[in-house]
Amino acid sequence: MSSSVKKVPFWAVERWLSVVLFLGVWELAPRAGGLLEVFIAPPSVVVNVLLEMIREDLLPGHVLVSLGRAAAGFVAAALLAVPLGFLLGSGFRTFERLVTPLLRFFAQLNPFSLFPLFILIFGIGELSKGTMIFWVCIWPILFNTINGVKEIDPLLVKSARSMGTGICTLFFRVILPAALPGIFTGLKMGAGTAFFMLIAAEMIGASRGLGWLVWNAQTNFQMPQLFAATVVISVLGLILQWLFVLIEGKLLGWRENVVH
Amino acid sequence: MSATDSLETILNGLKNSDGGVRADNPVADRSLPAGKNSFAAKKEVAGGRVSFSLAGINDFLLDYYGLALLVLLWELAPRLGWIDGQFFPPLSLVFQEAGKITITGELLNHVVASLQRTVQGLLVAIVLAVPAGFVLAGWFPRLTSFLSPLLKLLGQINAFSLFPLFVLFFGIGELAKFCIIFWSCLWPILFTTIAGVKGVDPLLIKVSRSMGSGRLTLFARVLLPGSLPSIFTGIRLGATVAFLMLIAAEMIGANFGLGYLIHYSNVNSVIPRIYVGVLVIAFLGMSINYLVHWIEGRVVTWKQDLNVT
Repeated sequence: MSSSVKKVPFWAVERWLSVVLFLGVWELAPRAGGLLEVFIAPPSVVVNVLLEMIREDLLPGHVLVSLGRAAAGFVAAALLAVPLGFLLGSGFRTFERLVTPLLRFFAQLNPFSLFPLFILIFGIGELSKGTMIFWVCIWPILFNTINGVKEIDPLLVKSARSMGTGICTLFFRVILPAALPGIFTGLKMGAGTAFFMLIAAEMIGASRGLGWLVWNAQTNFQMPQLFAATVVISVLGLILQWLFVLIEGKLLGWRENVVH
Repeated sequence: MSATDSLETILNGLKNSDGGVRADNPVADRSLPAGKNSFAAKKEVAGGRVSFSLAGINDFLLDYYGLALLVLLWELAPRLGWIDGQFFPPLSLVFQEAGKITITGELLNHVVASLQRTVQGLLVAIVLAVPAGFVLAGWFPRLTSFLSPLLKLLGQINAFSLFPLFVLFFGIGELAKFCIIFWSCLWPILFTTIAGVKGVDPLLIKVSRSMGSGRLTLFARVLLPGSLPSIFTGIRLGATVAFLMLIAAEMIGANFGLGYLIHYSNVNSVIPRIYVGVLVIAFLGMSINYLVHWIEGRVVTWKQDLNVT
């Protein structure tokens, strides 16, 4: 199957034709009138609204606030989860078997069900939202780091040690790169989840940010604004994914050459 | 999960009889002397037989110590004043509260309502996405690659930002919630089905065609079994997401259901009931996951034995 798919450049028309057609339908459908006209804002209107929001300097502020919250929670989670993952994956069997079931239990808890608790404990401020995102990101990063560390080929470590490498070199030259694929998968998932939950958290209790934009537009029945915010959120999500793929290519480019 | 972990430990111990240096312990094996860390070492001495000694039982229970500790802490810490009992009621209180609403049948109502919504959304998504995925990937591969950027874009749209849209369209009723759940599960299932069908070993298809099988046989005997593992992964993912979104949807606009339980317990400050909701949701989530795993085990495993790839 893969041999029959030819490589198409990123910007080629054929890749985006379906999206263009979809945009066309989206543009024309509301003009047919009726219910569609009331509820669906065509792309032209949406683009206008977006430009207006940028001109009034509304949009960049919201975007930055949203991204800031997501980044804060994500970075904090990564800083905790990666070392902890190394600790748990490195084979201290007793410690691991004591702690991991507990962690798996906590990871199971539905984050939305915990949200009222976070608000109770931390108040309706930045802290509860930040903690939510922190909580939600920590599990994918942690478990994927553990997997990444466990998958390290012991042969690599043994051969490095047999050549007399010290602990520091061993860690940075052998263990870290070998675990990096797993860690990176975790970071990718964590970032996606962070952004996803961020929108939810902002819709429930915030006064700024993209999620708030959506909720506000709905309350005021401003369809163009609602669509505009949704588009921005989706595009940001795509950019985030694409960024991670790019970084992965740079950091883990050597992975292509390894025969698995 | 913990039972297989224990078994794995035992088997690992049996395999690594070179003085305790274990293959899965690259970093730490120099720092831990042979007999110290592993109960498995004791089993090597015993001639490799699984023994029901104290060490063996301890080994088995090890997985549960952490949880037991949590239960203990949860019960004692609020009572001893270590943490605020207002926000962290002791576990016994939570169970008491659970008992209260179980007796009145309220809990059961909520559970059934939540499950119903989840299953409805999930089933409709499966019924639509799996055949669509098969048709797209199996019979119209070029159409699939044509549509794929658009599908990826649509799948990326955050379900939360769609929620107000659905509510505006359909009102705060069952339909809006159904749509959210349906939308959330549709994309994982669709994408994994397409990936599953595409991932079927082309050699199998060619072999079966060379033996003269028609389209139906090809589908039922090669494509379907070959892509089922992938489809089940998608279903599991979809079920998880569906249940997640369901709770969110119920917290925002519902009159019954587990999300609603948490929401109104929060509003009325009946804190223990929030915890009841949290635990019940966690338990249900795990059950759904196990259920899908079990179904997968029944449906797929024996087929995988036949399809030795």
